[in-house]
Amino acid sequence: MQKKGFWQGLYQKLASPKLTVVIFLVLAAASIVGTLMPQGLGEAELQRHYGQRAIWFITTFGLNDLYHTGWFRLLLLILCANLVVCTIERLPKTLKIFRRREEQVDPEKLRKCSLNCQFISKLSRDETEARLTKIISEEFGALQRFDEADHVAGVAEKGRWSPLMVYVVHLSVLLVLCGALVGSIFGFKGFMNILEGEATNEVMLEGSDRGLNLPFQVRCDKFDVSYYDNGMPREFRSDLTLIRNGKDVLKRELRVNDPLTYDGVTFYQASYGAILKDADVELTDRESGAVRRLVIPFREWVDIPGTRDRAQILRFDEDFRGLGPVIVLIISRAGGEPSGSRILIERDFHGNRVENYNVRVLHAARIPYTGLQIKQDPGVWLVWLGFAAMLVGIGLTYYVSHRRLWVWAAADASKGTINVVIAGRTNRNEISFEREFNRLCGRLQAQLGQEKGGSKP
Amino acid sequence: MITSSILLAITTFAYLLCALLYLAGVIFRRRTIMLWGTITGAATLAAQMAGIILRWRESYQIGYGHAPLSNLYESLVFAAWAIMLIYLVMEYRTKQRALGVFPALFAFLAMAYASFSTGVSSKIQPLLPALKSNWLIAHVVTCFVGYAAFAVSFGISILYIARESKKKSGGDAHSLLPDLRQLDELNYQMVLFGFLWLSLGIITGSVWADLAWGAYWSWDPKETWSLITWLIYAALLHSRTMKGWRGSRVAWLSIIGFGCVLFTYFGVNFLLGGLHSYATTK
Ligand code: HEM
Repeated sequence: MQKKGFWQGLYQKLASPKLTVVIFLVLAAASIVGTLMPQGLGEAELQRHYGQRAIWFITTFGLNDLYHTGWFRLLLLILCANLVVCTIERLPKTLKIFRRREEQVDPEKLRKCSLNCQFISKLSRDETEARLTKIISEEFGALQRFDEADHVAGVAEKGRWSPLMVYVVHLSVLLVLCGALVGSIFGFKGFMNILEGEATNEVMLEGSDRGLNLPFQVRCDKFDVSYYDNGMPREFRSDLTLIRNGKDVLKRELRVNDPLTYDGVTFYQASYGAILKDADVELTDRESGAVRRLVIPFREWVDIPGTRDRAQILRFDEDFRGLGPVIVLIISRAGGEPSGSRILIERDFHGNRVENYNVRVLHAARIPYTGLQIKQDPGVWLVWLGFAAMLVGIGLTYYVSHRRLWVWAAADASKGTINVVIAGRTNRNEISFEREFNRLCGRLQAQLGQEKGGSKP
Repeated sequence: MITSSILLAITTFAYLLCALLYLAGVIFRRRTIMLWGTITGAATLAAQMAGIILRWRESYQIGYGHAPLSNLYESLVFAAWAIMLIYLVMEYRTKQRALGVFPALFAFLAMAYASFSTGVSSKIQPLLPALKSNWLIAHVVTCFVGYAAFAVSFGISILYIARESKKKSGGDAHSLLPDLRQLDELNYQMVLFGFLWLSLGIITGSVWADLAWGAYWSWDPKETWSLITWLIYAALLHSRTMKGWRGSRVAWLSIIGFGCVLFTYFGVNFLLGGLHSYATTK
């Protein structure tokens, strides 16, 4: 008994539209927190910026990765439950109204409508009937009639399905969230850097140190950047070849904003850069004054000719603190402990030296690489479907309202005239409906109130 | 030779004139003055449209060749245009002239900020590769039509609250202004319209992000703030289905919602950008 009470209570809470508004506002507030607090900060960065208590608070509530925390997902789950329960509660009623066809008109009810007008027609019954039907059909749409011997009655309506559109909107929200869920469970996101001329199938997964091997290889045949006059990059482009079982299966250029999809995996041009191939270096021995020139491949030990010393380029940076490209050169003298220093490539700098050598880099040969973003998302079509449904649903909710117009006309035997009652109702956009209604009534009155044989338009 | 910058400069002052005419019409209760407000507004809208098209052509003459929707200046100009367009269509459909003060004022403020702020460059600049896409046009236009509708709704909400407090304190009904029920109804229509376009804006942005970067949603601050705005207006639409929530609470939600619009537009760039670079560079 106790248990049922709990579940019923929960169900009732979930059926309440008040909860919806509360969840919307809580989600908004939580999202605000997520934009004020930088996301994705690691342990070390937190230590640097915040005190002990703040860190406890941040890590307990996951504020540094707020949108992926359990409690944020729980909010979304409650929203979905709210949506489903509301639909279960309301859809049958809406459908019942949708299916019901009116079969009679009660003049008393019409007079109680907030939007109604009454007037007296001086025409004959046949003429009244004909003009009512004609004018209403012109202005409002087909008039369905269910007359009886003593009166004329009918109803015209528009947009009877418009109240159903809200359900389309609500369903669309569920579709989008389901699509996101499917994507996060069955898809992946990552990146790969490919040197010009090389091929790989290894993807580094985003937000983890794991990798993943694609069932095919990607080769970068060429990479190209073009610039505007003012130095801004205009476009970058990779010529890619996909290789499966040793055979080229697809060749294509990849540009920004123009991804490539193959076998469910999509590639995006995301970034670019270069690594060092080798450097042509001039070493001047400060003790003997001897000048030696040699080419040092990246990360390989090379003997310096005529000595027992060896040199290696340990690192390469395209730009070091605005001073241009640098290499880190290490030299080991006569097999001893190596020591090293940063060498500026494009500048003459007194610090360009290691051990007893002054160093000058004559040329640094680079190999460009292209940076590709890669993803597989089997849920994305659900998201697109949801988006489409949402736009159609909201659009039709806005543009179409359910408008009804009732008419009833009966002879007043004592005066020989006909009483006409018209009433209207709409589920939204009352003001424009009111204007339309008043114009219609004005036109009817003008047409029906005249004596027989009055001027016809 | 008429250039886009001359036309847009004229536009700025014409919107001020338009706002003043509407205001004078409301204060002195003269319909003819308000009619002149409408005429000025419509003429300015046309001149501004011409200015925008000229700027578009000029960008092709320079060789950059893109729609004038790519930076803060251009988006402010478009925002002013959209606000006035939406307002004038509403005016035409509802025959309510007296609501024009706020939209014309907002259009003027947007133009004045675009033209006179030192932080806003009006130079035609080339596009970064990431922005070179027809999605840019679809995305910016839809977002800004939504924002503009919310700006109009913001104006209606202020009027609603002002009229309500006047009514409570026993003030009279202003003969030219719509009554509270009409204001509420117009406000709701405007918010639903804005919600439709904001949804379109978020969705086009999301589809574009998926094409360009492979992620339709990545919780970056701009994206998140547009979602926050969307949630506030969703709350507004649903609060109307509850008893006793129509009227001033809806008006207040619309005011808060418009605050979110402004923050999405300016705040994220000026404040959060700074916060984030602070957090990652130090
Ligand atoms: C993100 C999620 C949601 C979105 C985008 C959304 C959107 C909408 C829209 C656009 C309308 C039409 C506005 C109007 O007719 O005034 C609407 C109406 C409505 N929604 Fe939602 N909604 C959401 C979630 C919910 C939830 C969780 C509930 C559950 C209680 C709910 C209940 C309603 C109700 C009762 C209406 C009024 C229907 C009517 O006018 O007959 N909505 N919603």
